[in-house]
Amino acid sequence: MSQYQRPGLKKIEEFLYHETGLLDRMEIRQWIDLFTDTGDYWMPVTPDQEDPINHISIFYDDRDLMEIRLRHHDNPRSHSKDFTIRSSHVLGNVQIASFDETNGDCQVSCNFQCVMYYRDQQQLYAGTCQYHLRLIDGRYHIQRKRVDLINCDAPHGSIQTYV
Amino acid sequence: MSYSVEDIEKLVEPARVHRKVYTDEEIFDLEMERVWGRTWIFAGHASEVPNGGDYKTFNIGSQSMLMVRNRKNDNISVFYNRCTHKGAKLVGDGKGCAKAFRCPYHAWTFDTEGKLLATPPTKTLETSGFAPDDPEYNLRPAAQVNIYHGFVFVNLDANAEGLHEYFGDSLTSIDNMVERSPEGELEIAGGVLRYRHDCNWKSFVENLNDNMHPMATHQSAIEACQGYAQDLPEGSEVPETVHILGPFGSSYDFFEDMSHVVFKNGHSYSGNKVSIHSAYPPVPDYVDAMETAYGKEKTKEIFSCARHNTVYYPSLTIKGAIQAIRVVRPISVNCTDIETYTFRLKGAPDEMLQRTLLYSRLINSPSSIVGADDLEVYERVQAGLHSHGHDWVSMERQKDHDQPQEDGSIEATGSSELPFRNQYKYWLQLMTNTEAVKIKA
Ligand code: FES
Ligand SMILES: [Fe+2]
Repeated sequence: MSQYQRPGLKKIEEFLYHETGLLDRMEIRQWIDLFTDTGDYWMPVTPDQEDPINHISIFYDDRDLMEIRLRHHDNPRSHSKDFTIRSSHVLGNVQIASFDETNGDCQVSCNFQCVMYYRDQQQLYAGTCQYHLRLIDGRYHIQRKRVDLINCDAPHGSIQTYV
Repeated sequence: MSYSVEDIEKLVEPARVHRKVYTDEEIFDLEMERVWGRTWIFAGHASEVPNGGDYKTFNIGSQSMLMVRNRKNDNISVFYNRCTHKGAKLVGDGKGCAKAFRCPYHAWTFDTEGKLLATPPTKTLETSGFAPDDPEYNLRPAAQVNIYHGFVFVNLDANAEGLHEYFGDSLTSIDNMVERSPEGELEIAGGVLRYRHDCNWKSFVENLNDNMHPMATHQSAIEACQGYAQDLPEGSEVPETVHILGPFGSSYDFFEDMSHVVFKNGHSYSGNKVSIHSAYPPVPDYVDAMETAYGKEKTKEIFSCARHNTVYYPSLTIKGAIQAIRVVRPISVNCTDIETYTFRLKGAPDEMLQRTLLYSRLINSPSSIVGADDLEVYERVQAGLHSHGHDWVSMERQKDHDQPQEDGSIEATGSSELPFRNQYKYWLQLMTNTEAVKIKA
């Protein structure tokens, strides 16, 4: 007998909409709290990158760095963050890639487009996201969010916040 | 306007420069010819092309170049990336391994030594009236190529002085980075970050020896880091992130002590005796490997040299103490790509590579909280210098306190703006040299 039931796609989609909605509203505190204590956010710099430790990445934040980044953002003297950051995510092709019936963990993937606006300039970020979601006390938490930009290896200007 | 030598001379005074050196497109074009076309430019590291046929492209201003490991003799050559027929760019941007280079237009094919091998169709060649064995049809090599501990440099001017003479004692920073490998060898590892900077290339280069900016520019990153560290529950382990970000928040006195040494031709380093890299926690396995290789005394001596940035004017900046380099690739007067590469110290544990990768991600990534505040100020300089309100950029601090040394270098206290003045002294010398560049050796 399996202990956990495979979740419906709708439940997963709701979680992803909630997560990216927090980013779009710049509610970074609540967003960080979605991660497990050992969770991380990873944006590789090459397609199919296997390793965040022995290879450079654009982002690879553990909880420590997320907290430092949040404090930096909120600091009145962070001049690169003087203007409001606005973003808008659209998600599609949400799929449950795998489900672990022993603990309720899910591997989820989706495509995304994120328009980010900062000081008169609009950037389009697009690609795929992969989530490792963990079920803790009946609620999903993020063990890893991996964001593969389709132009990951292009030269980028400053990427103002999490995508 | 078109700049005469006298016009250019008016742009640079001993301790201030005219804003046009950062904003004028015509000056940028002249720089690509007279500065970048005549100095030793970093192409790449030999470890990026380990096997015969391995190549990578790179740019020197508008010039697309091709660095390739020869199949015949294992040497590294650098060519202009241009087909000698009708001029198509021979290799698309990037890296790879080639048996030979075949032009996509009419299939002229060159070997990895640059020699023209084939010009189809062969059937009518004899009566076609052209002689493909004329050496003019081989790929044109860069006038000079020289390799120092695997660092491949090119000079597009055959008349330019040699590499050792050009860099002089600034090469000791590369020596120290190499010595930090227990086997005395470096290898590029861990990929590359490319960070687009909407600013003039000189703003970036100057900032690397600008010791007086971290307390202002990085105050927010420092406070974020220190605040987080303070709020950690008592007894918790300090994250590596804090060890790396923390020293950016050192005091004015600390950065004053990070004194400068400058050399002829615009080269310089800061952190002569002490730097923000001096106090990282030691990695025990690494220290063991070093002491086994070099002995205790020598190891101590190698580690005591923890310089901040060394500028190999104009294209390369290195941090020997953490084995990371940043390469400057100017695109236009207000756009510059900065490429960050990291090195594996051969014979050292993986942790050392992981630390330099962490450093580069924290400081030099497009997502960095440190790099973004740097870029913000460069971009504000680029915008501010369009102001008609004021024409001059000041570089006067500590100008009367240079300390010339017997070996020809000049030292100055950390708050000195000597490195900038030293760069512009050389810049002016190059920019007022109207002699034609000699592109053939
Ligand atoms: S342009 Fe290259 S073969 Fe014709
Ligand atoms: Fe800085």
